[in-house]
Amino acid sequence: MVALSDYLILSAILFSLGVGGIFLNRKNIIVLLMCVELILLAVNTNFIAFSHYLSDISGQVFVFFILTVAAAEAAIGLAILVVLFRNLRSISVDDIHTMNG
Amino acid sequence: MLLEQILFYFFATVLILSATMVVTSKNPIHATLFLVLAIFNSAILWLMLEAEFLAIALVLVYVGAVMVLFLFVVMMLDIDIATMRAHFIRYLPIGLVVFITMMVEMILFVGTRYFGLEQFAKPVAKSADYSNIEELGQVLYTVHLYPFEIAAVILLVAIIAAITLTLRHKPNTRYQDPSHQIHVDPKDRVELLKMPAEKL
Amino acid sequence: MNFELPNFSLIIPEIFLLTMICAILLLDLFLTDKQRIVTYYLSQLALVVTASLVFFYHTSVVIVDFSGHFIQDPLSDLLKIFLCGIVVVVFLYSKDYLKQVNLLKGEFFILGLFGVLGMLIMISAHSFLMLYLGLELLSLSLYALVALNRDSQLASEAAMKYFILGALASGLLLYGMSMLYGMTGSLELASISEQISKSDNNSIVLIFGLVFIIVGIGFKLGAVPFHMWVPDVYEGAPTAVTLYIGSATKIAALALALRLLVDGLIELHHDWQGMLVVLAVLSLAVGNIVAIAQTNIKRMLAYSTISHIGFVLLAILAGTIDGYIAATFYTLAYTIMAVGAFGVVIILNAENLTDFQGLNEQHPWLALMMLLFMFSMAGVPPTVGFYAKLMVISAIISVDLTWLAVIAVLFSVIGVFYYLRIVKIMYFDKLEDCTQVVKLATDMKWSISLNGLAILALGLYPSALMVLCTQAFVMSS
Repeated sequence: MVALSDYLILSAILFSLGVGGIFLNRKNIIVLLMCVELILLAVNTNFIAFSHYLSDISGQVFVFFILTVAAAEAAIGLAILVVLFRNLRSISVDDIHTMNG
Repeated sequence: MLLEQILFYFFATVLILSATMVVTSKNPIHATLFLVLAIFNSAILWLMLEAEFLAIALVLVYVGAVMVLFLFVVMMLDIDIATMRAHFIRYLPIGLVVFITMMVEMILFVGTRYFGLEQFAKPVAKSADYSNIEELGQVLYTVHLYPFEIAAVILLVAIIAAITLTLRHKPNTRYQDPSHQIHVDPKDRVELLKMPAEKL
Repeated sequence: MNFELPNFSLIIPEIFLLTMICAILLLDLFLTDKQRIVTYYLSQLALVVTASLVFFYHTSVVIVDFSGHFIQDPLSDLLKIFLCGIVVVVFLYSKDYLKQVNLLKGEFFILGLFGVLGMLIMISAHSFLMLYLGLELLSLSLYALVALNRDSQLASEAAMKYFILGALASGLLLYGMSMLYGMTGSLELASISEQISKSDNNSIVLIFGLVFIIVGIGFKLGAVPFHMWVPDVYEGAPTAVTLYIGSATKIAALALALRLLVDGLIELHHDWQGMLVVLAVLSLAVGNIVAIAQTNIKRMLAYSTISHIGFVLLAILAGTIDGYIAATFYTLAYTIMAVGAFGVVIILNAENLTDFQGLNEQHPWLALMMLLFMFSMAGVPPTVGFYAKLMVISAIISVDLTWLAVIAVLFSVIGVFYYLRIVKIMYFDKLEDCTQVVKLATDMKWSISLNGLAILALGLYPSALMVLCTQAFVMSS
């Protein structure tokens, strides 16, 4: 039988892939946005697995809202990306050196 | 029961492989398409967890809308792949270290020791006439009414923000104004003159 | 299933604000650029009426409704009224600057008001779900606000950086929430707290979830080592937006930390105390030391914010009612001084520290006000900043963390240096070119004066604000 831990390990791997990807693709913004989507996918899988094994619907409700917010977030992220691209004329962001936080 | 395990491990493997490809692939278009594959596989896993509505919503919203938006943007902006490879190699060690340490530490906590079948038994499968949408809908419009309304506000903010950031009125572009077009009065355009016929 | 219709009158302020935002949004379409000031007045009206509604329906007991998603208590009333008041001042200071840099658009006010709505929701949140939704409503508005100046490369880069790190922080926060949900089976803060107190066997997994929540909160607060977005966003964003982020959002950040850690996870106090100690000490150290090296006034104030966040975290980690009172007092006092300091920056349209040269000769009154704000941030008596720091330090000494108090005092003394440097530049450095003349509109002059005098008045009579903060926590004790 598939245990809860299997699902949790799966989403832990997905989550660390997302976080690792953010470090890996520091200069490639569009893939950074996709890494954020991977992280959210991992979180959602976590919630649904818990919801199933606890027989409690509210975990699924949370996922419903995360999906909504993530779609809104992707729209704004891509809008900012387009604005940034217009200013830089390229997103192979070698040129982001003005910032050095 | 064995079938369930085979299915789980198959789809989980494909999911992890495609997620790895998202993170490492050279071409952003390939990355987007691999993300689509990853989303399909998680949708299948969610189906196995009896979250039918969310599984379908994931495919509809993510593959149908969000990923298409990503593809549009990737193709709209021309991306210099060659310089990206150079950076990729440079950041590979740190990325790998972060990934491996995080994964190992997280698996230590979420493994069978705390979340095995003894602690969380597999619930009895729901009967065939169980409706996931009905159950979700019942709580969404009652218990979770307040968050539901706020989610609507968040979508409104996303619309306003996206339009604010990207809409540009160019002064030189010519637009058609339909309202102006249909309100045209023939009298303004054509003037019928009565002229006396000339006699030869 | 049993479901009781919620008492909608509890969220009248939120409903009113949302209605006003939609009305302003529609009306703004029909305004020409010259009439844009109407949007500004309507936004101010919306905020003032919202604050009055909160005051009119204020409560002295704790009310939880909307199936556990919503809480109204004296703390939420206090924070909401204060928040609306601060944003009124923010909009007032921003108006002339926005006109100058050609950004006076309806979107600034509309997104700003949406952010206020998000913060109101966070302040009254009583479940993971509402905390997340309120936080996202605020963050999404902020991402767009930072990028509002579309032609500035610096602004769009800052917005992108803010967006990526903000989304990562949300992801971490959500992962932590999912673990806690899995262990407690609930999303509602009160029942989570109850479940945690019942079970003691799986506490290691709870701490695992807690780590993610703390990291998420750390990112959103801008505590070291999760602070990298703060200076860039403060520098890159239009100054009006920096003013908004630097002052108003700190109230929401306090609410986020108090609701999550105190209302929901107080049973794990022993565990999160240790984590917050690390964040607080690092924030104090990095904030105060790195600020010395800054030449850009916005970056300097950004690092100053980080060090003040360190103080708020110190107060929260004490884990006593006195600590929470001190944290609230500190945050409210800080927002008053931050809004004033950024207000002077916005009036002068200053970017670098040298822009303050000779301010005393040009406009002695404004220089005096800036002096008050700087003294208050440095914690010099008799300003309110001094009492705020005193309260925090006495709160942590009372829980036997004297070594932390010593560190806090030590770093504040280092911090005094860069605040006083501004005072020195204003009063003793000669102006190199006298071409720029500082002009002050009447409403700006009055509000900045009131703002500065409030710092002094609250410093002389701190009990006024102290009573309000104490009352906010009396019920929850």
